[in-house]
Amino acid sequence: MVEPLIKLENVWKIYQLGKVELTVLKEMNLEINRGSFVSIIGPSGSGKSTLLNIIGCLDIPTKGKIFLDGQDIQKLSEDELAKIRGKKIGFVFQQFNLLPNLTAIENVVLPMVFQKIPEEKRFGRAKKLLEMVGLGERIFHKPAELSGGEQQRVAIARALANNPEMLITDEPTGNLDSKSGEMIMEILKELYQKGERTIIVVTHDPQIASFSKEVVHIKDGQIVSDHEAMKKVLWLRENSRSI
Amino acid sequence: MKEYFKIAIKNLKARSLRSWLTILGIIIGVFLIVSLLSLSEGLKMTVMQQLRMMGKDVLIVFPGELSEITATILGGMKLSEEDTKVIKKVEGVELVIPMAWKGEAMRYEGKTKIVLLCGYPRKEAQELFESDLGWSLAEGDWPLPGKREIIVGNLVPKEFFPGMKPGTKAYIKGREFLVTGILKSLGSKQDDSMVGLDLEVFREITGERKGAQFAFVKIKSGFDPEKVAEKIKNALETTQKRRPGKETLAFSVLTNEKAGSIAGSILIIIQIIVFAFASIAILVGGIGIMNTMFTSVRERTREIGIMKAIGAKNSEILIIFLIEAGIIGLIGGLGGTILGISFARAIETYGQVHPLFYFHASITPGLIIFGFLFSFFVGCFSGFLPARRAARLKPVEALRYFE
Repeated sequence: MVEPLIKLENVWKIYQLGKVELTVLKEMNLEINRGSFVSIIGPSGSGKSTLLNIIGCLDIPTKGKIFLDGQDIQKLSEDELAKIRGKKIGFVFQQFNLLPNLTAIENVVLPMVFQKIPEEKRFGRAKKLLEMVGLGERIFHKPAELSGGEQQRVAIARALANNPEMLITDEPTGNLDSKSGEMIMEILKELYQKGERTIIVVTHDPQIASFSKEVVHIKDGQIVSDHEAMKKVLWLRENSRSI
Repeated sequence: MKEYFKIAIKNLKARSLRSWLTILGIIIGVFLIVSLLSLSEGLKMTVMQQLRMMGKDVLIVFPGELSEITATILGGMKLSEEDTKVIKKVEGVELVIPMAWKGEAMRYEGKTKIVLLCGYPRKEAQELFESDLGWSLAEGDWPLPGKREIIVGNLVPKEFFPGMKPGTKAYIKGREFLVTGILKSLGSKQDDSMVGLDLEVFREITGERKGAQFAFVKIKSGFDPEKVAEKIKNALETTQKRRPGKETLAFSVLTNEKAGSIAGSILIIIQIIVFAFASIAILVGGIGIMNTMFTSVRERTREIGIMKAIGAKNSEILIIFLIEAGIIGLIGGLGGTILGISFARAIETYGQVHPLFYFHASITPGLIIFGFLFSFFVGCFSGFLPARRAARLKPVEALRYFE
């Protein structure tokens, strides 16, 4: 049996808000295999972003275990987690989250700086990635000088800087117009088709989810089998475009 | 590391006004430290140099306690002829040179000014002055004992009677004097402004028939100056007690070493005070750095979260913020050092041009390096707490942060 890339065992996430306990994830079990394209869908407040943060090693569960490549995440130090985030995971956020004082190419170079990639290799690779997302002409622009779609493409290039095994995207089209959003999804689809990279997309939009191979539906912090939502995704897949 | 510097500099530039204001705070602090330290060190060097000119086997005897030296001088207390004789009899004393001074009007080429006349026994003093007090001729010749001849300090022809030359005539109390020579600088304004003449002649024209303000005592070789000083003091005070119907007068005997240590300890106190005040300025500057860095950490919480998400370790975040604070400190240090040195140099130049005081600004490489390191250290130290706060932020919380 092939070991899954990500495995969640009875994962709970509980936030302590003053005296009130807020359970965001309840006894979650999930396996994501290497090379899959998974959407996590669900209404807002369902816990999908929290799940994504845990998968992305940005947060640790309150209870339960999470394995990445068979490694128990909770046993790792902050620095080891940072290393995993830098090397194995690429993040794309809804807010783009580029560093405003750095140019596009400097933003793409930064993850390589943190991984101690030799200086002479960084620039070339960053330039290639920006060309790949169609921004070869704008590498010296600062985020404020780029449109939302362009910023998100820089963010994708940055996420790919260290050639991670996993690309984690949180509502990647949420702040974009539909045309730019489509472009982003096309890039993600291409990435999926090109290699064995695992791509995880969190979204509330079935249209976006229809790009993926697998759909995980979350409601109230638990994975549910929602036939209605599933049907919608499947219908969209049949009728628009399929991978 | 180079990249972290780049990031830090970009961050500083992004809030350029605030960065410069913070730098200004450090500049002022370092400016104060560097200029004040260089001036106080220069003061110390000037004083010490003067003391060094006085030979080790020379003592200064004057009436009154050392702690009441102002009262002694202003009150006109004097060593009597008898005192001089007592000193001479003390074992180990080779020579006693009583020194008397008085302000008198002097006329030269139609101009009249008040000068400080200094009477000393020409014949006996000559060797001591040359070998132990550093007297030497710049021009002309030494005056002859018993004659109406004067020797002047090197400031007299510069400040008092411009163009005064050896061989010319000057008048004191209507009597004619021959200017025989001009001394080389003795290192203090007061000494260099003096008009020296034989004690006998001094007494004759000033009417101050008796006594002297103080006396130089030369010790025979092989005697310990401290011990001889003690004996002189005892001998003088014992003689005083035997004299009926008179208040007992204390005497002070200063050895070179004692004078040096007194001056040294006063100067050290001055330096400590100067340093303490300047340090307060630096402290304020450091608080400025801390303030701006804390603000910056709060403003950039999201950015810190982003950097962590793309793989920055805590230590790397810490370094980036420390570099920022360090740069502020270093630029402040550079500016402050340059300004401080310029200021000290300006004061020094002013002192040379203006006949008020001699001054030497001591600008050593050590002081410059100190200025730099100190400001860099203050920068890093003030930046440490904000940087640590940044480094310890939890990635999820930092990413979720909205201003």
